[in-house]
Amino acid sequence: MRKLRALWMRLGGTFQEEGDFAAELESHIQLHIEDNLRAGMTETEARRQALISLGGVEQTKEAYRNRRGLPLVETLWQDVCYGVRMLRKNPGFSAAAILTMALGIGANTAIFSVVKTVLLAPLLYKDPSRIVAVWTASPARGGQSLPSSPGDFAIWKQKSGVFEDMAPSYDHQATLTGQGPPQLLLGYAVSANYLRILGVQPQIGRLYTDQEDRPGGPKVALLSDHLWRTKFHSDPRISGRAITLDGSAYTVLGVMPTGFDYPPTVEIWTPAAIAPAAFDDFKNTYVRILGRLKPGATLVEARKAMNALEAQIAVAHPGTDSGNRVVLVPLPEQLDGDIRKPLLILMGAVGLVLLIACANTAGLALARDASRRKEVAVRLALGAARLRLLRQFVTESLLLAAMGGAAGLLPALAGTRLLAAIFPNDVANLAIPKVTAIPLDRGVFLFAFVITLLTGFLFGIIPAIRATRTDVGDAMRETGRGNTAIRRTNRARSAIVVTEVALSLILLTAAGLVVASFQRVVSANLGFQPKHVLSLQVFLPPDRYPWDHGERTRAFVAEVVRKMNTLPRVQTAAATNFLPLTGFWGTTDFLLRGQAQPKQGQAPSADNRLFTPGYLGTMGIPVLRGRSFTTADRAGGAQVAMINQRLARQYFKDRDPIGQELNLGTADKPNWWRIVGVAGDVKAFGQDQPTHLEIYRPFDQSPVPIVAFTLRTETDPAAMVKTAEQALWSVDPDLPISKAIPMDALASQTLALRRASSVLIAGFAVLALLLACIGIYGVMAYAVAQRTQEIGLRMALGAQRRDVLQSVMGLGFRLTLAGGAIGLAGAVASTRLLKSLLFEVSAINPIILSSTAALLMTVAILASYLPARRAASIDPMQALRAE
Amino acid sequence: MGAKADVWQGTLALMVLKTLDTIGRQHGYGIARRIEQISGNVLSVNYGTLYPALLKLEQEGAIVSEWGLSDTNRKAKFYKLTRAGRKQLERETRDWEQASAILARFLTPAEEA
Repeated sequence: MRKLRALWMRLGGTFQEEGDFAAELESHIQLHIEDNLRAGMTETEARRQALISLGGVEQTKEAYRNRRGLPLVETLWQDVCYGVRMLRKNPGFSAAAILTMALGIGANTAIFSVVKTVLLAPLLYKDPSRIVAVWTASPARGGQSLPSSPGDFAIWKQKSGVFEDMAPSYDHQATLTGQGPPQLLLGYAVSANYLRILGVQPQIGRLYTDQEDRPGGPKVALLSDHLWRTKFHSDPRISGRAITLDGSAYTVLGVMPTGFDYPPTVEIWTPAAIAPAAFDDFKNTYVRILGRLKPGATLVEARKAMNALEAQIAVAHPGTDSGNRVVLVPLPEQLDGDIRKPLLILMGAVGLVLLIACANTAGLALARDASRRKEVAVRLALGAARLRLLRQFVTESLLLAAMGGAAGLLPALAGTRLLAAIFPNDVANLAIPKVTAIPLDRGVFLFAFVITLLTGFLFGIIPAIRATRTDVGDAMRETGRGNTAIRRTNRARSAIVVTEVALSLILLTAAGLVVASFQRVVSANLGFQPKHVLSLQVFLPPDRYPWDHGERTRAFVAEVVRKMNTLPRVQTAAATNFLPLTGFWGTTDFLLRGQAQPKQGQAPSADNRLFTPGYLGTMGIPVLRGRSFTTADRAGGAQVAMINQRLARQYFKDRDPIGQELNLGTADKPNWWRIVGVAGDVKAFGQDQPTHLEIYRPFDQSPVPIVAFTLRTETDPAAMVKTAEQALWSVDPDLPISKAIPMDALASQTLALRRASSVLIAGFAVLALLLACIGIYGVMAYAVAQRTQEIGLRMALGAQRRDVLQSVMGLGFRLTLAGGAIGLAGAVASTRLLKSLLFEVSAINPIILSSTAALLMTVAILASYLPARRAASIDPMQALRAE
Repeated sequence: MGAKADVWQGTLALMVLKTLDTIGRQHGYGIARRIEQISGNVLSVNYGTLYPALLKLEQEGAIVSEWGLSDTNRKAKFYKLTRAGRKQLERETRDWEQASAILARFLTPAEEA
């Protein structure tokens, strides 16, 4: 405590004036002189004796000074003051360096703030890295994560040995009524232990128990914080209240905490209540599984164990083997979904920008420090310790970095605004966590502070070592002509130019690949014409539209389509079950005539799509062969189907599929559908995703509660939303519309992630190019300034303008070439990391590689042309006189 | 210099505290004279070393200072003991007595052996 107080006082003492002590000493001497005079000494002798016993005024003052302040802090303060003076003396250098650092640090801070918000957000789940989502994946479906059957789940849970606990869940949409306008809620039926695995406690009320989670158990529900706030006015006494879901009364048990969002965007959780009999079902795959790994079990072990178990099950029950792999995804990754890799790539790209900024500043500092060589030499000659000088140089760099970092907060702030605006929040076909705000918080500031320090050291250390390694004699004598020290500086400078060129080339190539991929994706044919098509998605609640008899559903859909078709400015209207690009889909197994029943789960399957007559025309999907459905293809009539081109090619090859039949049942209980037409392939999961096999059937012959209406309009479809909604509500005023959006907007949204990544990485590449350009220019300009006399001499001896131009540009060209070669190697080695952002562009693309290299070369040569021209126009007489 | 100086500084600090405890409020010169009188010639050449010691004690909160007038009506900086300083004096006196007692037993020839 005493020590701490003393330290604090000394810290304060560092910056105090010392007049007070001088006065105290003066009074001490006077008091002593008075005493001496009283003792009978002469005036002179009295003063002399007083000074002798004090032991020297200056010595005393110095001892006092060392005790009063902290010498370390004092020299630091001196260095900082000196540094500020130096920066003020070179305003051009300082401004360029600070601007460079500000851009580099700002861009990094902005991207990091997104990384922190999205990837590093603290999860409120208990020990989240041990929670894994268990999926299956088959190569046939592009490795997509698929749900499992309850039968598989039961066996896995019992026998895996690597899971502490495992819990089932499944989709359970519900329409909430009695709380204002009816609302379709994204719901999940989850078992009681599912919520225990997540380890989250409700903020109000309680979770349901295992006893409540059984078939025929009480109808209870847990609300999301968002639902509770928006629909129930944050009612603190909500638990125990009755609400109406799909027409039945449910009791609210509690409200989940803010930030609890699993599965993402779910608003309501209800008991899964899976009947024990269901655990013999290996056919229907609808169970989404969450597990908690046993302590000590690693993810790799768990993957092995689960797949080994699957193999055992396959051997024991060959009839139920699907041949699918089991996939385990840790919860944090599951939540980050498809944005993790692009974000990491962007973080890497912006890191390269920072490195270039560092190299740039280091180059500038080298040039500036060269003019301080004499100053350093003089100080060394006067006895300054090298370490002390080194410390001073590092302090200056840190000061510069700190100013750059502080200035960088502005671009960082602007950057986060921009990033929040372009963050792909509404991408329906990808799993991306929702981000509403990208705050610049303490963690982000800490990051900015740390990278500021790092960059300060990074760009400061080489010039500092270089400058303080000065040989005193050399530097004092030096006249600037080709001695070793200069050559060493030149080497460092060349290294910097080469580094800048190489890093920029890597970044440019990456940007080229990503942007080219984006263009391919944008121009990829979706298979339908999204312009002028409006879509309205609804979910029919089972209380009013019973699922087992589709009469009500049929009548409702037919009536809405009829009304929409009569609307002004609507060309055609139709309905389907799974709208393309919404991320919703379902599948059906199928067999061809004469095909034996394959093992369970190994039957070929295709996406199960339904539509009303006129849908293909409305969407602009071409009919390649045969016909589309008509109003004659109705319930009770002959069962007809269409297939997409991919299915036709894969399963019918050269045969004509028209008139062939598909069995959507089993070999024992066939359910035959006759193919009447072939439709064009649709990129239903996004331009960059593979086309699935698809089977289309008339909605009327197989109605489902998931419905999307589509309208081809004559004008801007966004302006037609109100009209279309009115038409729908005129048939059922209580039906919530979950989404109304023009198809081209939906198509654009699915590109949001790619668009944002492309824009950012291209922006970083341009920034890198700009920085490299400035860096090369600075270094070359300095090289010319340094060689002024030499060039003057050469010209006096008869060198031509052209020779000088050649000599300077030759240097620039050689350095650029070297950097380009290294950069190309680096690009070839690193672009494979970009794979997740590429589309139909190979990571090593000769056209992009060569054109980015050519661009960079051109820019670099231009950057060295200006200094070269200045060199060539040196007046030899003036240059020689300039010493 | 180091260790020796530390010992000297520590001893000096104790002398300053004791002096201020005995004679109350005093200026630097007065403290120096007093210590010189009592300790013989320890401080006779180097009054200056007293000031860093005073500063350290002040930084540690054992003493406080204020400007005032001396007996001869001269402006001088006066020091006085704080409560913390008094405690420090008691503690250090005790420590010192213990230490010197132990040393004394070591340095005087054993009689009962």
